[in-house]
Amino acid sequence: MSEMPKSLRDRLNPIAQVIRDAGGEIVGRTKLQKTVYLLTLAGFEKQFRFGYKHYGPFSEALADATDLAVAFGLIFEHQQQAAWGGTYSVYTAPPGEQSAQPSRIRLTQAAAQSDAVLLELAATAAYLAQEGKPRPWAETARRKPDKAANGRLDRAKELYAQLREASDNALPEIRLE
Amino acid sequence: MPDVKRQRVRDPLHNLIEFNEGNPFERMLWRVVKTAPFQRLRRIRQLGLSDFVYPGATHSRFIHSLGVFHTARQLMRIVQRYVPDQPEEHISAEAALAAALLHDVGHGPLSHAFEPLGKSFGWKLVGEHENYTEALIRSTERGAIGEILNNYHEGFADMVADIIRGGPATVYRSVVSSQFDADRLDYVRRDRLMSGTHLAGVDFEWLIANLEIGELQPDNSGVRRKTFVLGPKAVYAAESFITSVFQMYPTVYFHKTTRGAEKLAQAMLQEVAKLVADGCVAATGLPENHPLTKFFKEPENLAVLSELDDSVVLGALPLLRQSDDKLVKDFATRLQTRRLFKAMDLGVLIIKAIADQAGRYDEHAFLRMQGDITQRIEDWLAQADHRGRILLDTATRKPYKPIEEEGPMNQIWIHDGGKLVDIRDRSPAVAATGVFRAFRAYVAEQDDEARKFVEETTANAIKGA
Repeated sequence: MSEMPKSLRDRLNPIAQVIRDAGGEIVGRTKLQKTVYLLTLAGFEKQFRFGYKHYGPFSEALADATDLAVAFGLIFEHQQQAAWGGTYSVYTAPPGEQSAQPSRIRLTQAAAQSDAVLLELAATAAYLAQEGKPRPWAETARRKPDKAANGRLDRAKELYAQLREASDNALPEIRLE
Repeated sequence: MPDVKRQRVRDPLHNLIEFNEGNPFERMLWRVVKTAPFQRLRRIRQLGLSDFVYPGATHSRFIHSLGVFHTARQLMRIVQRYVPDQPEEHISAEAALAAALLHDVGHGPLSHAFEPLGKSFGWKLVGEHENYTEALIRSTERGAIGEILNNYHEGFADMVADIIRGGPATVYRSVVSSQFDADRLDYVRRDRLMSGTHLAGVDFEWLIANLEIGELQPDNSGVRRKTFVLGPKAVYAAESFITSVFQMYPTVYFHKTTRGAEKLAQAMLQEVAKLVADGCVAATGLPENHPLTKFFKEPENLAVLSELDDSVVLGALPLLRQSDDKLVKDFATRLQTRRLFKAMDLGVLIIKAIADQAGRYDEHAFLRMQGDITQRIEDWLAQADHRGRILLDTATRKPYKPIEEEGPMNQIWIHDGGKLVDIRDRSPAVAATGVFRAFRAYVAEQDDEARKFVEETTANAIKGA
């Protein structure tokens, strides 16, 4: 392939950067989406717009750019089989420098190492809060009753507090209701 | 005993769709149908500008929505055989039926053709029609849809909106959102009928006759969920259904001429929006009080959005032809007279080149070439005097997705000897289907410079691959 246009490289590099900041690996499309959403919410990423889909905040542009970054070899994707029968993607990035912002790196790593369901709940509540919903956690529980069950909503609240702390409070505070 | 009034709608696909006014739920839904937001759907074409190619395809989101409700009611009769006869089940079923009726109430003008405009400016309500749909369903001022729903049952508007927004993942949601939902079962058959294509037949009665409810293996949340499954005699009907949905994409939904017209409309409206944002309303050709002008000034205002429909956009073309902006004037004229840009099918060239070079299709090679060409064209378009001279179209459709992180609810399951099997494991045809990718450039018939740039850029990308 002839040399990649700089503008394209600039568009795709942030995805590789997020994976590098996470420590070189992010497990799952959902986790990649939610991690980039939280980075965007915290002001560390600016490129992708997020809307609300069945699984919480989602960016179609990020999904497309991720596929393109894989095609260009800027990141790698490996399919794995889950115990429940489905497949999931593991994203890795070639070695390179991490970001210069420690709080960005801490937030990325905390998100990438968290439980995927808790991260989805936390990112959803954060999205709903940004949309002006007065009781974002209660609404998250109503929209995702199975995932929020068995104490997971409370653990997702704790996770959000940890993520916020990791980001040096760059993530906004959201009401606990 | 007085006759119970039935509201009857004749439909080219389903023949008779009835709302029984003796039933409080259906009486309430008929009130919803009579609201202004639902009536607006009469003026939203289901297939946007597809009538440029298929002149019969002028059917509306209104009749599609009634058809989805009718189909959902058929599916729900099957569900009700498998769930307990309890009040909470009844209200969940009714919420799903209401969601089926209302799932498209927030569609903007020209249906899906309007959404890229919203996305490009970051406007939430028109960028994704589900956002506007949700807002309309939750709106509870006097006479609004949400108020009618909540007067029927406390909290009903939220139940309906939550189903449309994706949760909870119950069998009721499968009626509204799955690979075998009422929406798909209506639109494939309706769009086939109205477009006049003879591809994409669906053996609907046989599918319904073989439909059951089954319980899936635990998903990633550890929950065993109920969903639709098909009996073993319906394997080929299911295979044909999947193939039919897929065939509609290259032949109707992503038809190169239709997409070319949509790209013109999107580019034109984008320029109008910029002019309005820059305070140059007079240059657009539209008056200050035109619904489009008002919309571009307040794109998140529900009252302003309620005035938008296809008739507003298409009716604005004679005014936009008087615009001071060269692009707006030219594109409005082209849309009104169907003098569209010429399509250059770059995807076909890339696929041919990959086959010549590698001997087989390589998805990553396609994406690399598409990404490279797209970026170079976008960089060219950013130069002075190049605005709007090349319109790009990229679209993708997977006929049937393998089971991924989203979980097993999105699959079509076959009931086979006491266990449930993914249709991919019973149908070699489904397992073998690839991804359809459209990648085109459109240029004006006499713009040799733009055409040559596209040709050279594509040739260079192929050569350098």
